Amino acid sequence: MDWYLLLAAILLPALSAALCFTIKNQKLRIAIVSISTLLLFAVAGGFIALMVKSPDGKLIFHLEHSVLEIVSWVIKALDLILFCYIGYIGLKHKKAIVFILAVLQFIPWALFEVFGVFGKVHEPANAFVIDHLSLIMIMLVSIIGPIVTFFALGYMKEHEHHLHLKVSRQPRFFMILYIFLGAMNALVMTDNLSWMYFFWEITTLCSFLLISHDGTEIAIKNGLRALWINSVGGLAFIIAIILVNSSLNTLSIQEISAAGMSEAFTGALPVALALLCIAGFTKSAQFPFQSWLLGAMVAPTPVSALLHSSTMVKAGVYLVVRISPAFAGTILGKLVAIVGGFTFVAASAIAISQSNAKKVLAYSTIANLGLIICCAGIGTRISLAAAILLMIFHAVSKGLLFLCVGTIELGIGSRDIEDMQGLFKLMPFTTVITVIGMISMLLPPFGVLITKWMAIETAVHQPLVLLFIILGSALTVVFWAKWIGIILTMSYKPKFHIEKLSFSMKAALSVLIAFVMAASIGIAPLYNQFVKPQVISFKMADMEELTGTGLGIWLHKVDSAVYGGFASIMFFAVILVLMVAIPIISHKIKPSRLKPPYLCGANADDDLRGLEFISPGDKVDTVVVRNYYMQSVFGENKLTFWVNAIAGAVIIIMLGVVIGL
Amino acid sequence: MSINNLIIAVIAIIAAPIVGGLLTGIDRKITARMQNRFGPPLLQPFYDFFKLLGKQGIAVNQTQMVYVMGHLFFAIGAFVMLVLKQDLLMLMFILAFSSVSLIMGAMSVRSPYSKIGAQREIMQMMAYEPVLLLMVVGVYKSTGSFMISEIFNHEEPLLYSLPLVFLAFLYVLTIKLRKSPFDFSTSHHGHQELIKGLTTEFSGTQLALIELTHWYDLVLLMGLITLFFAKPIWVGILIALASYFCEIVIDNISARVTWQWMVRVTWVAGIGAALVNIVWMYLI
Repeated sequence: MDWYLLLAAILLPALSAALCFTIKNQKLRIAIVSISTLLLFAVAGGFIALMVKSPDGKLIFHLEHSVLEIVSWVIKALDLILFCYIGYIGLKHKKAIVFILAVLQFIPWALFEVFGVFGKVHEPANAFVIDHLSLIMIMLVSIIGPIVTFFALGYMKEHEHHLHLKVSRQPRFFMILYIFLGAMNALVMTDNLSWMYFFWEITTLCSFLLISHDGTEIAIKNGLRALWINSVGGLAFIIAIILVNSSLNTLSIQEISAAGMSEAFTGALPVALALLCIAGFTKSAQFPFQSWLLGAMVAPTPVSALLHSSTMVKAGVYLVVRISPAFAGTILGKLVAIVGGFTFVAASAIAISQSNAKKVLAYSTIANLGLIICCAGIGTRISLAAAILLMIFHAVSKGLLFLCVGTIELGIGSRDIEDMQGLFKLMPFTTVITVIGMISMLLPPFGVLITKWMAIETAVHQPLVLLFIILGSALTVVFWAKWIGIILTMSYKPKFHIEKLSFSMKAALSVLIAFVMAASIGIAPLYNQFVKPQVISFKMADMEELTGTGLGIWLHKVDSAVYGGFASIMFFAVILVLMVAIPIISHKIKPSRLKPPYLCGANADDDLRGLEFISPGDKVDTVVVRNYYMQSVFGENKLTFWVNAIAGAVIIIMLGVVIGL
Repeated sequence: MSINNLIIAVIAIIAAPIVGGLLTGIDRKITARMQNRFGPPLLQPFYDFFKLLGKQGIAVNQTQMVYVMGHLFFAIGAFVMLVLKQDLLMLMFILAFSSVSLIMGAMSVRSPYSKIGAQREIMQMMAYEPVLLLMVVGVYKSTGSFMISEIFNHEEPLLYSLPLVFLAFLYVLTIKLRKSPFDFSTSHHGHQELIKGLTTEFSGTQLALIELTHWYDLVLLMGLITLFFAKPIWVGILIALASYFCEIVIDNISARVTWQWMVRVTWVAGIGAALVNIVWMYLI
């Protein structure tokens, strides 16, 4: 039973990929995607059920030696094909750096895995180990991933309609999406670092294929950038594998995670951990590696939604959180926290200057990933709980918001925030969902803010990191509040339109908003059921505790005295009252009581929007108000260089420190 | 939540606006005397409040009232958290929700004055949020807890260990109360270039509720000042009243500055002062 489920999680997406690619019929594709969506939900549910039944909170999949040998060689062969293909892409598009990085990865890989130059390769016999962290990732990948794919059914049809394609390229698109999901599932389930590397590289390749899907010049350029930046991470990863193998005599990820407590933090292990972190930074688009994620928005919206929420970038933070107990409380941990915290504040600052909705979302993603990495670096049990919870909340909310922006873009033909004035009357359904999604990113009592609050309370022993988080949260409020204000703008007598959305888009948005609400309201059970067992099982010195009892979440010191807490449910009650109040209030106001706003002169007579007024000289003028973007302070071209320089410097310092240890 | 807490919360929710309204009345009286006027009666804010409630309901769109209610409810929520001695850091975030709600209300209408006021209010939030959060960190460094209840168990008044944080907080108080020289998101005098800024398009009941929220905010902020001298509490209350008097004096002797100036000075001087204080807390 267990094995079937494991294989289903990896091979079912692969099967769907093959079917999507071979069957070109639109109706059949809808059927395949719908069935796969349901099956993947079932897989996630199956894993939850297995985990509840398992006594020690871990599902271990042991492989016989002979089978392990075969699977290993199969993966090595596939690895080889992957290197060749990436090298070929480099040659085909005449991008030298892609080719060089592929070769640079291939040489140590071949010497290590095939020829055994660096000693015996210690492949763990427990090929797959699923603990609660893996389970959470499986839930994100196998629930949010299929929802986004389902959304893509409706979206890609309209997208290709806009592009006037003669031959639909959807089969290729859906195939890559499913390979991506399968690779992600495998990546979070395997306990073998070198297998993880293989799946890691698959996600890199898939992201290139998806970003460059539209085939325009800019799409290919940005895709290649994603490929080479992530290849830098891949290079760090393969070197780290060799160092881990020689210093710990194992490639088991579980044992790496537990290694910090048993041995002194010296030798090759700190270097290996730092390199793994750098691999995580590239994948999670931390400064100075952020440019690939910003470029990724040229891809169709479902790709952005997938890259930003449950897959790709989450693989990076997954790796860092996974190994963080090994460097908790060390100098490496402190530096990781600084890199993450710095990214959080810098990305939030740049986001203020952006008026492109997708770019704002992208910077917000970078910022939140920074916060997750920062929490992983702080290295207390509470901070790791915050990191894992933020992974969940961010994945759900950001997946939703990208789909919302995609829907808005199809609706109004623009992704500029300033063009979204009065969106409420054009797309009431989407607007309401978008606003709730945004509020869930920045305001209490929603989950993202609660994790931020936990991060501040547990970072209190690291002043610099603390300052970063505090400044970052102040800047976060600015860019979200501006945007929310714009899309909630309403005329005094709006003519509401009936919004036409395809079923797949409407269903995806509704399901995701339900998840956003459910996860935030149920933060205490969510924590107790899934996060707490994981945090407790980590081997670390820190003994502070987080409990989810009563109406909220409470932070305890070592002597179990409460030093912080929040009864979030009480405030959801307030929000519920507000939500009930909205329809009642809006019905109570008689239309005759609605008046146009004051506009510096008499309002024009026939203007229902409340935008036109009679200016001196009896001319009719229109009011235009734009948000503050403060380009001169927070502009992308002003900050990016310096921010990259500082982040790069910190990473070099990090490498220098671990080599010196 | 025990019955006891519930009773305390209910009493506080009823008492706070009365205290806040009286403080506002005193403010108007003192301000008038400073300007050589006789000034309105002490209870004038309450008369204004009830008059506004009785006005014909006119709106600029159907949703305005919702934001006003969000503004009010979350301010009350933050206040109850203070009274029940809950987490100080989360209290600041709840207070931020209240502000954001008013900003959304102001931006939901097409009026340029309202929108400019809202933009400036966002800038204010960006300026003062870090100072408020740093203040909380300072409190943690003194008491070892984020719970307000621990402040009352702490022997030494916070003011002794956090003098600079206290000054930074007083500075932020002026911004938070939108008093001159920082009255650029809304002003008390409707005939200026900003009209009434943030509140231009609110009228009648909506305006009454915004005024009510302001009273809650006022009492909450006075309560936060009191925390700096929680034992014995009457000293803290005296300090809070003295600080309020200072605010009124500053309000009357200064002219409005630009928001750019405010953001710069708050980030440099406000955050700077709080940081200096906290750095020495880390070193001892």
